[in-house]
Amino acid sequence: MSVIEITHLTKSYGRSRGIADVNLKVEQGEIFGFIGPNGAGKSTTIRTLLGLIYPSGGSATIFGRDCVRHPEVRREVGYLPSEVFYYDNMRVVDLLRYSASFYKKDCTKRIRELAGIMDLDLKKKIDDLSFGNKKKVGIVQGLLHEPKLIILDEPTSGLDPLMQQRFFGLIAEENKKGATVFFSSHILSEVQRMCSRVALIKEGRIIRLEKMSDLQNNSYKRFHIETKGVPAKDAFALDGVSNLKMKGKEIDFIFRGDINTVMKRVAGLELRNISIEEPDLEEIFLHYYAGEGRAV
Amino acid sequence: MNMVLHELKSLRKSTVLWTCSLIAIAALYLSLYPGIGKDAEDFKRLLGGYPPAVRAMLGIRLDSITSMLGFYSFAFSFIALCGAIQGMNLGVSILSKESRERTADFLLVKPVSRVSIVTAKLSAAVLMLLATDVVFYAAVSVLANAVKTSDFSHKLFFMVNLTLLFLQLIFFSLGMAVSVFFKRLKSVLPLSLGVVFGLYLLGALIGAGRNDGAARYFSPFQYFRTDYILRHSAYESPYLIAGAAVAVVSILVTYTVYVKKDIHAVS
Repeated sequence: MSVIEITHLTKSYGRSRGIADVNLKVEQGEIFGFIGPNGAGKSTTIRTLLGLIYPSGGSATIFGRDCVRHPEVRREVGYLPSEVFYYDNMRVVDLLRYSASFYKKDCTKRIRELAGIMDLDLKKKIDDLSFGNKKKVGIVQGLLHEPKLIILDEPTSGLDPLMQQRFFGLIAEENKKGATVFFSSHILSEVQRMCSRVALIKEGRIIRLEKMSDLQNNSYKRFHIETKGVPAKDAFALDGVSNLKMKGKEIDFIFRGDINTVMKRVAGLELRNISIEEPDLEEIFLHYYAGEGRAV
Repeated sequence: MNMVLHELKSLRKSTVLWTCSLIAIAALYLSLYPGIGKDAEDFKRLLGGYPPAVRAMLGIRLDSITSMLGFYSFAFSFIALCGAIQGMNLGVSILSKESRERTADFLLVKPVSRVSIVTAKLSAAVLMLLATDVVFYAAVSVLANAVKTSDFSHKLFFMVNLTLLFLQLIFFSLGMAVSVFFKRLKSVLPLSLGVVFGLYLLGALIGAGRNDGAARYFSPFQYFRTDYILRHSAYESPYLIAGAAVAVVSILVTYTVYVKKDIHAVS
């Protein structure tokens, strides 16, 4: 049984925003990355999983149970939104206790532990906290009941690098203990670091679902070629070539496919220099989004 | 239960304030009573100079205004207005505040159903209205007994005061039902003041017209006429039922809409 199973999920808002026919499966123990630019539908998908909004079509289940009809599945879910807002006139510890009271288990020890790791002052009033500190409250609040599924929606905004480090440490630890993580972000390096699989979402549709290793290894190469003479314009008009830039004697592109086909073309040129590198996810990602001429 | 307690705590301050204000209004009017009771005839002559329509709008009945209960029911129309604002305000804000203060992403992802959220908030608010009215009733009883010039019926006094609770419940449920239709309600007071004053003025006009019957159903302020209560020691059952119907329908609408409502991200 998959931890998250989304089938043909559609949510339309009347206008163009929303998601269409999203299919996803997240397995037990995975750290699943969910990436796309702002407004692509990441939050819509997550909010449906959490029962905050209702799908116009399709379904979403968590631990095999429908998110809409079974609010109790959320007992095993921890959620960290990108922006956190809490009842301003409460003290941190009161808010955390209130949060814990929904899960019917004693979380006092875990609250102290997490607050220690995140360096959070429990006695302060929420009102007096900085944005970063509120975010820490959010992290503790999302993890205090030791959820089996952790849903993160752009979790690192507002955290300084040190705290990000600790936060990722925490998530990795929870994952080791068996928690599944669903991690949405538009910052690719963090996804790259954490996730085992990623889904790319664009304009409300999943355009790619890949293993992190597949995405990074072998399949994509970044070429930088300098030639002695000016090459023909169609020298690299091949299937699998993208982001092609030809500037005089310099050629840059990303290639995906059988490496031999491109090497044959290269062999036909008089070279001054060549470098072939692993592109980072950012470039692969850009390459998907460049498709419709839209800036990311 | 945790949600009810949380709501009670967050409503504590405003409830205390409202209760004090209601008592202060009652105290202000009642403090005038000893003088009026003494110079009853002069006072009646003075009020007799007002056009009958104005008297009707203000709820002044010449034959009873100088008696304790008559005077109190005149003052009570303002207390009822105030109480209705409290009820409406509470109703409009109690569900919408999660979106307004952007805490919906906290509460609504907890493992509780929307129905239980509405029920918890509804119970907390009703408890607070009950507390307001119990304290208010205790205070005005003491005050009324202190200023009375002759004995009055405590049963009728209680019946008049009980309509405060009825009105508050009607406006509270109306407020909730209105609030669930807004995606994000930025400010509560203009909406609740607008609706309550609108219905109050409508009620006053209907009252001035003296046309009993159908028109009175349009304003909850006309559901419980104190002169009828004082004369018959009873409520007018058609209007009592109408009030209950408004409350029940509003609450049903609240549940139905809120359970299906999309909670959008803060922007």
